[in-house]
Amino acid sequence: MSTDKGQVERATGEGTDLWRLITAPTIWAVHFLVCYVGAAIYCEKAGRASALLPVTWFVAATTAVALLGLGLVFLSLWRVRGFSVVGGDLNYLGNTPEERHRFLSHVSMMLCVLSAIGVVFVAMPAFMLGTCR
Amino acid sequence: MTNRPAKVRRRPSGPARPSLVALPILLMIVAGCDGPQSALSGAGREATDVSRLFWVMLVGGAAVWIVVMGTAIFAVLQPPRGARVGNAFIIGGGVVFPVVVLAALLAYGLSMLPDWAQSGTRLKVHVTGEQWWWRVAYELPDGTLVRDANEIHLPAGEPVEFVLTADEVIHSFWIPAIGGKMDMIPGRTNRLVLTAEKPGTYRGVCAEYCGTSHALMAFSAIVHERDAFDAWLAGQAKPAVVADSVGARRGRDQFIAAGCGGCHMMRGVVELGDVGPDLTHVGSRRTLGSGILPNDRETLEAWVRNPDHLKPDVAMPGYAMLPDADIAAIATFLEGAK
Repeated sequence: MSTDKGQVERATGEGTDLWRLITAPTIWAVHFLVCYVGAAIYCEKAGRASALLPVTWFVAATTAVALLGLGLVFLSLWRVRGFSVVGGDLNYLGNTPEERHRFLSHVSMMLCVLSAIGVVFVAMPAFMLGTCR
Repeated sequence: MTNRPAKVRRRPSGPARPSLVALPILLMIVAGCDGPQSALSGAGREATDVSRLFWVMLVGGAAVWIVVMGTAIFAVLQPPRGARVGNAFIIGGGVVFPVVVLAALLAYGLSMLPDWAQSGTRLKVHVTGEQWWWRVAYELPDGTLVRDANEIHLPAGEPVEFVLTADEVIHSFWIPAIGGKMDMIPGRTNRLVLTAEKPGTYRGVCAEYCGTSHALMAFSAIVHERDAFDAWLAGQAKPAVVADSVGARRGRDQFIAAGCGGCHMMRGVVELGDVGPDLTHVGSRRTLGSGILPNDRETLEAWVRNPDHLKPDVAMPGYAMLPDADIAAIATFLEGAK
């Protein structure tokens, strides 16, 4: 890799914009809403004393889907990471599309990890509570 | 680095050593951690759980603090290492460790939630927050309610379900030594299950600002052995006792004539009003004015004369216009209503 070719050689791709940045937190938010709204509707229909087991299965399934989605987003960003932080050629001051792409990719990837932790924490109560009360 | 001035490490001298000043102050503060209103005295199962959580978090937090501070000092003193070590440290100490600790705390906290599954035969105590007193009713197994006010009596060793609501503004029901707290919200019913363990007299408070006399809204929580509790409840279910004396009978007549019954229920004497606290067995209560004053003659008379002086903005008007003899008679009557 010679320096005069510059941007083209270092290019890691395009497409990481703000939409991709918020994908992971959006999955987290939707998972949160689906779990809590689903449990609320179930408990309202079934009565306060009823068992939470169907909700537990529902939350488990929703959580699996959410984690799968986050995993796919994570994988699509993992390749860029190889160039952004550990590649050693990141120009921290470079205000170029390539640098923005790398930075946003890295932030998006870390948001994937954060969102996955959030999703697991949201799901935990469903596995520890016995009834709707 | 080697030519450090010799005087830098000199210890501070003089009488105002901070540690010597702080010690008595600390001891005074710690001495307040016991008594009838201490969440650390562990007189109830829920309070014991909370105080255990407090100690676990205190010790855990202190350990984390020491490790973080130690690492920071270590990092300052040591020469820099490779980026690989640093990254591993950031991910291990900054991501993995907090996630594991928080997950453990979340699981621990969730496991502390009350077991609502078995709520069939519990004693139910209905408590309504008023400005600024407590409307209390014990639900008997047949569904009838035994009314009381400003005092909570509990059997030891049994889960009791509190059915909590409020009249006009939000209050919060808290007996620190036994457990809680739980908000009391107008138009909503909140439930709280507490298990008192040690017989004794504790102090409960309103823990949510509710107006002028919020700080003067407390109550006694008395924990009995089961037999003593049953005897107490049977006594409360009976109508008011009028002491067998001329003074007490005169006081009863004055109580009715002055219109006290327009607001205060007194079963067996007047059963009209329901605005103020039930006075059926007021003579047997520990306190007056909902947990703020001793229940004695002097306080009873002072309260009838000018309650606003003892509890600012209270709804009850003063009866200072009554002749002293009438007020004394009413106090005699109320004192005898055990």
